Amino acid sequence: MTRWCLILLAVMALPAQAALRYHLEPKQIAPDTWMVEGKTENFSKENGGNIVNTAFIVTDAGVVVIDTGPSLQYGDALHDAIRKITDQPVTHVLITHHHPDHAFGNQAFPERSLSALPETTALLERDGEAFSDNMYRMIGDWMRGTQVVLPTQELAPGPLIVGNHTFQLWGFTGHTGADLVILDKTTGTLFAGDMVFYNRAITTPQSPGLDTWQQELDLLAEIPFERLVPGHGPMVTDDRAFRQMHAYMTWLDALFKSSANRGLTANEVMRTPIPGRFDSIAEASYELIRSTTHLYPRYEQAALRMLPEE
Amino acid sequence: MLRHALLLAGALASTGLAAYPKDPYGSPMWDYNLERYLGEKAEVVLDDRVNLEVPPFAEDSSQVPLTVDLSGFDAPVQKVITWVDLNPIPHLFTYVPQTRVTVVSLNFRVQQATTVRAAVQDESGVWHVGSAHVDAAGGGCTAPSQASSDPNWEEHFGQIRGGAFSPANQSRLKVYVRHPMDSGMVGNIPAFHIETLEIRDTAGGQDEPLLKMTLSESAAENPMFVFELPDAPPQYEVWMRDNNGNQFQRQVGEAL
Repeated sequence: MTRWCLILLAVMALPAQAALRYHLEPKQIAPDTWMVEGKTENFSKENGGNIVNTAFIVTDAGVVVIDTGPSLQYGDALHDAIRKITDQPVTHVLITHHHPDHAFGNQAFPERSLSALPETTALLERDGEAFSDNMYRMIGDWMRGTQVVLPTQELAPGPLIVGNHTFQLWGFTGHTGADLVILDKTTGTLFAGDMVFYNRAITTPQSPGLDTWQQELDLLAEIPFERLVPGHGPMVTDDRAFRQMHAYMTWLDALFKSSANRGLTANEVMRTPIPGRFDSIAEASYELIRSTTHLYPRYEQAALRMLPEE
Repeated sequence: MLRHALLLAGALASTGLAAYPKDPYGSPMWDYNLERYLGEKAEVVLDDRVNLEVPPFAEDSSQVPLTVDLSGFDAPVQKVITWVDLNPIPHLFTYVPQTRVTVVSLNFRVQQATTVRAAVQDESGVWHVGSAHVDAAGGGCTAPSQASSDPNWEEHFGQIRGGAFSPANQSRLKVYVRHPMDSGMVGNIPAFHIETLEIRDTAGGQDEPLLKMTLSESAAENPMFVFELPDAPPQYEVWMRDNNGNQFQRQVGEAL
């Protein structure tokens, strides 16, 4: 009996697995401006959800952070990385939308700095717990200690001035129904959030529809910029991310329409091969299964007639 | 050759020894559900011609598309039964065809990651089983329907949309019904779902329905039925009845 207790104690005393660590390497992309680029993969226990781009701007009145990453640990690592670069405190954290990979590092930052569109905060309040359950399932131990923290400050479209930097904010809807886009006019850097993916397939669980998203992308493409930081994928300095989004979304929309008009089942649509011209877009086959689930039923219903009662 | 192999498998099964083949997916529910739905003495063979399709993972646990594709199964079919091994009520649907039916598709609810089965009974009574696996976060069976939290659900209740798609897809029929399909597994929401569906031939004057289907609680809300009947005329009557006695009857046809 005693022996078993001792063995049990010994086992419990073992360090609970080597600590998981994100190795974040901020890259300076403009004066005062750093980007932390994530992988273009799906969530996994290997990558810990480091699949997202975050960024920060060091103004002379404090640091502006754009998105906080997928977990408390990521948020802490991001905050540490900022402290290595500047002594300025973080005064503004702009959450582009409510998805967990962008807002689950909120805990690591001062609560009064957390800012978002009011619709984003409402969506995070609604979906946060379900997202959290799913994140524990997908990345496991990386989530340890992570809790949903809601933004406390409301953002509105229009100008935002922080120290020597002037920002312009827009609210779009195409990706989640509330999608913040930020232009730092001082450096010409456009932070597009998940309105723009580059070399990574779009995700659509809360999208109002591909048509809405594409119309808004046309508006977004009008904004002049020196460089664009997408929510996922590498930074670009020209319109190639817009061109890729346009080609891919046009293909996806046409696939759903023609499949619905041929009476195809969701299973048949899900296994459509991705055309070779989209080889540079990571996770396209995986996201096609998800997007078919989210969006295809609308196309299917539209291809049917209302049948009158006899 | 294949037929001989099947006969042999059937003969072995009929001795009552090692009645069921080994489950390629190793599900703990394999023997139990085979016995439950096909019977203790059923002759069972694994058959790749029974093509059961589900996505590798359920993006939405309350709406998982399942397709039984029998276009490669060239023998006459008596009956088809599908079930979801680890659901609280595994049975999804059973149908009896009077004509060749190459495709049947319907969404189901999934409670947890599970194997899914389609068993096809041939004329000699042997069951041919196809399987697939779907990963899932789960909870689809015990999540309330959207209709149960929508005060205006009756506005759309019983609305039916449909279409026939032909000839590019042979005679493919789609019927979409607004129905909560409540499983009865959610507190204070009683079971309320379509139990029976028939496809009748309105042109040929046949008495027996071309297809008779019964549905169980695993069927998803607002079902989108897809059927492909390559040898049947493109004019059908679809008839359904739910467990509250509501009946729905519509004409579907004229190839688009």
